[in-house]
Amino acid sequence: MAFTDLFDVLITGILRGGIYALMALGLALVFGVMNISNFAHGEFYMIGAYVAFFAIKAFGLDPIPAIVVAGLAGFVMGIVIEKGIFYSLRRRSKEEWVMNTFLVTVGLSFIIQNMAFILWGATYRGTDAYWKGTIQITPGMGVSVDRVVSFLIAIVTMAAFWLFLRRTQTGRAIRAVSQEERGATLVGINLNNIHTLTFALSCMLAGVAGGSLLSITQAYPAMGAKPLLASWLVVIMVGLGNVSGSIIGGLIVGVLEAASYYFLGAGWQNVVSLIVLILILLFKPSGLLGTEVKGVLER
Amino acid sequence: MQKMEQASSVADRTRFLSVFKSMGLSPVALVLFAVLAVAPLIVEDEYINTLMVSCLLFGAQAMAFDFTAGYINVVNFGFSGLVGLGAYTSALLAVRLGVSPWLGLVGATVVAGMVGFLVGLLTLRLRGIFAAVMAWFVGLTLMELATAMVDLTRGSLGLNVPLFLDTAARRPYYYILFPIVIGIYVLLRVVTRSDFGLACRAIGQNIDVARASGVNPTKYRVINFTISCALAGLLGGYYAHYIGILTPGVMATTHTTEVLVLSYIGGKGSIWGALVAAFLIIPIFEYLKPLMQFRLVLYGVFLVLATIVYPTGLAGLSRSIGGWFREQRRKAKQNRHKSP
Repeated sequence: MAFTDLFDVLITGILRGGIYALMALGLALVFGVMNISNFAHGEFYMIGAYVAFFAIKAFGLDPIPAIVVAGLAGFVMGIVIEKGIFYSLRRRSKEEWVMNTFLVTVGLSFIIQNMAFILWGATYRGTDAYWKGTIQITPGMGVSVDRVVSFLIAIVTMAAFWLFLRRTQTGRAIRAVSQEERGATLVGINLNNIHTLTFALSCMLAGVAGGSLLSITQAYPAMGAKPLLASWLVVIMVGLGNVSGSIIGGLIVGVLEAASYYFLGAGWQNVVSLIVLILILLFKPSGLLGTEVKGVLER
Repeated sequence: MQKMEQASSVADRTRFLSVFKSMGLSPVALVLFAVLAVAPLIVEDEYINTLMVSCLLFGAQAMAFDFTAGYINVVNFGFSGLVGLGAYTSALLAVRLGVSPWLGLVGATVVAGMVGFLVGLLTLRLRGIFAAVMAWFVGLTLMELATAMVDLTRGSLGLNVPLFLDTAARRPYYYILFPIVIGIYVLLRVVTRSDFGLACRAIGQNIDVARASGVNPTKYRVINFTISCALAGLLGGYYAHYIGILTPGVMATTHTTEVLVLSYIGGKGSIWGALVAAFLIIPIFEYLKPLMQFRLVLYGVFLVLATIVYPTGLAGLSRSIGGWFREQRRKAKQNRHKSP
């Protein structure tokens, strides 16, 4: 094993990790702001992939507009689900909120996933490479352009999102709600709107992730399971509610996966990730970068 | 003299009943169990007997699940992973070492219990949702191990497991499972009525208050979790020697969700509700089998509705019906007092 091999593993892992970071960002955001542990997050990824597929195949869109449409579809779907389900649950009772929302999202994931089976069947739907060709990174390894572009899309989206959270009035309102709900209402923030917007944005991030990876992982009803697992790994690893930490966490999980694939072969990624996670939690139960944000100690 | 005898026989009877009662076997439950005990003798149909075995198996799993979800309020989202662990333990003991399936059941229980203990030690220091997610990771990891260790488990090719008996008839299998399920039911009812169960319930309702009252949450949660996982392993072991072929698919999260839905429809923290729910829901879904995918959608819809609209489930329904009857009786009594 040469040094270049390690370098290859690192690059592959980081390229993979970009998308995980994007997914985990949405997951962490929804947990931080709304205290929902979303187990249907992978389904929005799946919907993004399907929408991108149909946008390209049926409407002949170019990749970038297709990915934008996928993100928009996620956004709309997020609004519908938040208004339809979480809003009514919130009005009914706040008791056992974390556990109830967890159960609801598990149910939602069942519904969405199996509806996709009914609507689109168990066939894989993919496209040719968005952008042809490979980039030679080291003499031994080339990476497809799609991989690199999807990573760039993830980075650009996250940067834009970060700017939105820091620089705009709405973004500040979202952060205010995540810090102190009551205080946020006192300064005149409409909680309902912020909750809906946050959920929709999180779904949008997942939709973008699904759309931009379509040429690498084909659309399939159960495709959401893997990114869901990866993003939960990230979120637990860095500590729930830590939004910016999820970016670093995504890259870590990506590298772990690439390394386990390289050293142990296929099928051991979860085992390796779990062992690392257990070690982290043994020594630091609140996660790598964990802080006691709202929600971590809430039950 | 005669009066005394009568009195003592009444006392005997109440003592007799209270023994059953302390095992959670109310007269209604005794009647229902008696019906279940003779049902396969009357119904000759193999298809229905198979269905009954599924109901028992899922119902028992849902009871074990409810023991953690309904009492210490931890959703063991890796439940099917532990069922699968038990199944593979018993199966591998039989296939690789030639251990009898009956001893395999013991092995399955012990191994699943030990893994549950370790998982509990690790995750149950964490609060609610962390524990659920960690258990989920463990379940998925177990599934991945079963898939990856092809030399041992034959992976997704499927492992052929010796059956309990040489016969393919379903009725004997029903009678193997039936005492196990009764045993699980009685065990869980006894445990949940004890001080231990009270402590668990307190932890589930408000962990800080429980801690302030001198209950060590981690200890009780770990013991509770271990029992539940051991039962999952036992049922998994039965499943392996009942079905005859094992693939890592038994550990899929989908199965956990099915068990979860049953226990929630049955009503959190009731134990019996889960078993009743299994006997109601599984036959309905069996007849919906042509609509396979819609069946799973329905599971999801049930879960969402149960959580939002009717969180107390069948147990809550029965409580409110019982309350309504008592209310009526009280009113009738009052009227009788007034009328003369």
